Amino acid sequence: MNNWHNPYNPIKTEVVDSIVETPMIKTLKLRPQEPIAFAAGQFVELTIPGFGEAPFTPSSRPSATEMLYLTIMNVGTVTEAVHRLAKGDTVGLRGPLGTGYPLERFKDKEILVVGGGCGFAPLRSLMYTLFERSEDFKKLLFRGGCKSSQEFLYKEELHQWAERPDLDVQLTVDVGDVSWKGHVGVVTTLLEDLDMDCSKGVAIVCGPPIMMKLTTAKLSEMGFQDPNIYLSMERNMSCAIGKCGHCRIGIYYACHDGPVFCYDKIKQFPDLWT
Amino acid sequence: MAYLSRENLFAWLDGLKADYEVFVPFKKGPFRFYQRYISPDKDIVIGEVRATEPVKGFFTPVKEKVAELFNPEPIRKKQKPAAIVGVKACDLKGFLVQDQVFCKGCQDPFYNAAREANLIISADCTQVIDTCFCLALGVNPYPESHFDINLSEVTGGFIIDIGSPKGQQVFDTYKSLFQESDTSLHTKKEQGRTQIVDRVRQNIAKHEVPYQNQFQGIIERNHESSIWEDEAKTCTECGACTTICPTCHCFFLTDEKEKDKLVRYRQWDSCMLKDYARVAGGGNPRPQLWMRLRNRFEKKFDFFPQVAGLNACTGCGRCITACPANIDIRRVLKRLVHNE
Repeated sequence: MNNWHNPYNPIKTEVVDSIVETPMIKTLKLRPQEPIAFAAGQFVELTIPGFGEAPFTPSSRPSATEMLYLTIMNVGTVTEAVHRLAKGDTVGLRGPLGTGYPLERFKDKEILVVGGGCGFAPLRSLMYTLFERSEDFKKLLFRGGCKSSQEFLYKEELHQWAERPDLDVQLTVDVGDVSWKGHVGVVTTLLEDLDMDCSKGVAIVCGPPIMMKLTTAKLSEMGFQDPNIYLSMERNMSCAIGKCGHCRIGIYYACHDGPVFCYDKIKQFPDLWT
Repeated sequence: MAYLSRENLFAWLDGLKADYEVFVPFKKGPFRFYQRYISPDKDIVIGEVRATEPVKGFFTPVKEKVAELFNPEPIRKKQKPAAIVGVKACDLKGFLVQDQVFCKGCQDPFYNAAREANLIISADCTQVIDTCFCLALGVNPYPESHFDINLSEVTGGFIIDIGSPKGQQVFDTYKSLFQESDTSLHTKKEQGRTQIVDRVRQNIAKHEVPYQNQFQGIIERNHESSIWEDEAKTCTECGACTTICPTCHCFFLTDEKEKDKLVRYRQWDSCMLKDYARVAGGGNPRPQLWMRLRNRFEKKFDFFPQVAGLNACTGCGRCITACPANIDIRRVLKRLVHNE
């Protein structure tokens, strides 16, 4: 059989490092045997031999194809096995999969990025991409929230981001404590009085379903247009190539047409939020 | 046009065994089941109606090895391709849906290989059972396309139609077994077809099944309807309806250890099962059974019409027979059409 391509077989991949981010979240540093060139927002399927497969959007720079970072919360069977991985272990990767952010549509726009908890992971990859072309955008704002200060991902990087002249960052925690000097409240409370024209701006949201649902409602109320709100939809995925049926949202498959969707494309569908 | 006598049918099947695993429907009680053809048998039925099981399993088996992890070599299949005999028009429509899923976009190499290699010898329906309603879904009870060779049962044998280059090749190889058919047999074939069409039409009228030209908007319109909760009341979440459906294609990938190798299987799944859409951490877009029933109908009568221009139902009636809870797709469609 010539040109045999098996979309179900992963690329053998070495675990180069496993970094503890928070008590529940680790970042895997992975080197696939073949480079995987992904666009911000696209995802990969990670195989843990003997445990199965799960989808993740890389948190690393898309232009760096030889080393991928996946930031993963321990919430299920596969992710629990992920947390037991150590340097030198073998895993598998399939990808890049899905459709990423349509960066060309962000040109000359004011961009608001809103992240919640583990949603910082795919957004970091997007932010790297946006930083690389920040002259293309009028303005870039990042608003991020976590349950508590212990659960912030990429703390050092967030400090560096705060210094960037091309970015306006504000962070919040749902529940404050002595170590946290900043804003307290859910992430939508950071969306009051934004210095941007919401009716023309682009909003990108990634986080847990409840956060995305409430943020989307808030953004609409603030005047963001539905086609300018980009959501990362969470769905159960198995094949990740638009065949197995699991991740269907209305007339789309999240694995193929998403996972990033404009709100106007999906808002009319039932069972939108998990 | 050619004619094949019943005796020569068996000689032909015997010949096909050299290149194919030949599967034929066997009658058991009121049902028909596919079995490997070994030798002529009085229980082999070519016409009548569809077999109990759909033929999709010959193309995407219930559980099929799709990868040996990290081994880039193609998976070698040991067995010969299948020649499936007596496939009915409702099953052929199933291919329209399955092809849309597995051949469009990123291709499934296993399904595509099976489609290329397997031989489809279809047949006209010569009987109608109570659950048949193919005409409502735009399917005639006799094959018109998507077969290699079709058999229309007439007195003592079959009228042959060639439907593909592959069918032509197979026909040419066994040319000596076929005879010229005469006009009277053709008239019989057409009469048989008309008779069966009439009987399916009567079936549809008896059960007040709506025709598909009335399906436009039924899902969207009834989205908040109490029909779903009402119909799902008796559902036992067994998944028989999707398993036995010729259009249902959902599967999941599962990894298993085999000796020192890790092997990935593609295994049938059912959208009626609770965990089907559950995500890590426990979130579920369809936690209630009635939501999953609505989703099943949405996939068939809203998703597929929008993405492929066809309803993912062939009117074969298998799900009606298989359901232990008496959920009747004809009744649900009727209720949806009439907003009852």
